[in-house]
Amino acid sequence: MDEAALLTALRAGDQAAWRQCLQDNLPALIGYAARMTGDRASAEEVVQEALVTVYRGLDRFEGRCSIRSWMFRAVRSRALDELRRRGRVVLSDDGDPLEGAFDERGKWQNPPPDLGGELDRKIDAQRALAQVRRQVDRLPHDLREVFLLREVQGLETDEICAALEITPENLRTRLHRARKKLRAQVVRAIQEGV
Amino acid sequence: MLFSPCEAVIERVSAVIDGEVSAVDHALFHAHLAICPPCRRYYKQLIQIRSLGAEPSADDLPDDFADVMGFVLDAIEPAQPAAPPKA
Repeated sequence: MDEAALLTALRAGDQAAWRQCLQDNLPALIGYAARMTGDRASAEEVVQEALVTVYRGLDRFEGRCSIRSWMFRAVRSRALDELRRRGRVVLSDDGDPLEGAFDERGKWQNPPPDLGGELDRKIDAQRALAQVRRQVDRLPHDLREVFLLREVQGLETDEICAALEITPENLRTRLHRARKKLRAQVVRAIQEGV
Repeated sequence: MLFSPCEAVIERVSAVIDGEVSAVDHALFHAHLAICPPCRRYYKQLIQIRSLGAEPSADDLPDDFADVMGFVLDAIEPAQPAAPPKA
């Protein structure tokens, strides 16, 4: 079913179309909401409410993005409401995780440390995985959401831009900052033995 | 990019990961890594961390959507068919 036919069926309340659409998208939507809110129970509530909002707003949907992107936008909006309610929305600052790493000629003056295989999954897969996941969860939400949508959910640039209502340039900047900050956090945690 | 300052090379890492540089720049980036151990280490760490961060967990891949699906489907009311034209 193409996007236009799907939209028509969803607007008509076609249960089979809705069921298929939900089967196709719920894993990613719940996974994204779980990582945004920090728990699965809240994530399910967030997704439920967001999708009912999507259903009720279908008449206003103008098709400028995919239905999938629109669903992610609704889930993101509802997840942010939940985080605000808990007072847990933390935005990134302008600090550069690599500040002081280079000299005035752009050469390394504080090169990356040797982590001694800490990240080598063959050595200690679960420990490394848990450490990185913890640090992803600690990213400021504006960086965490782009990391989750791109790296975990695998959304394309246009889908992420539509879901977050940002430009591709803004997405590139945020992704770059998210990866840099995540690396810096993980390296620091490993060095501190956290 | 081969002999660019390391700071400029590192600033291009995300663009290289996302395939947003030309084939020439891609090759020059990796040529720089080949001659620059600190940049190579930084790149390797970033790739490893990115890969670990993207690893799905049980929470990312729930196997039972019944509650959520039921809630949403219950909220959906089929559109009423148009009334037949009057004779």
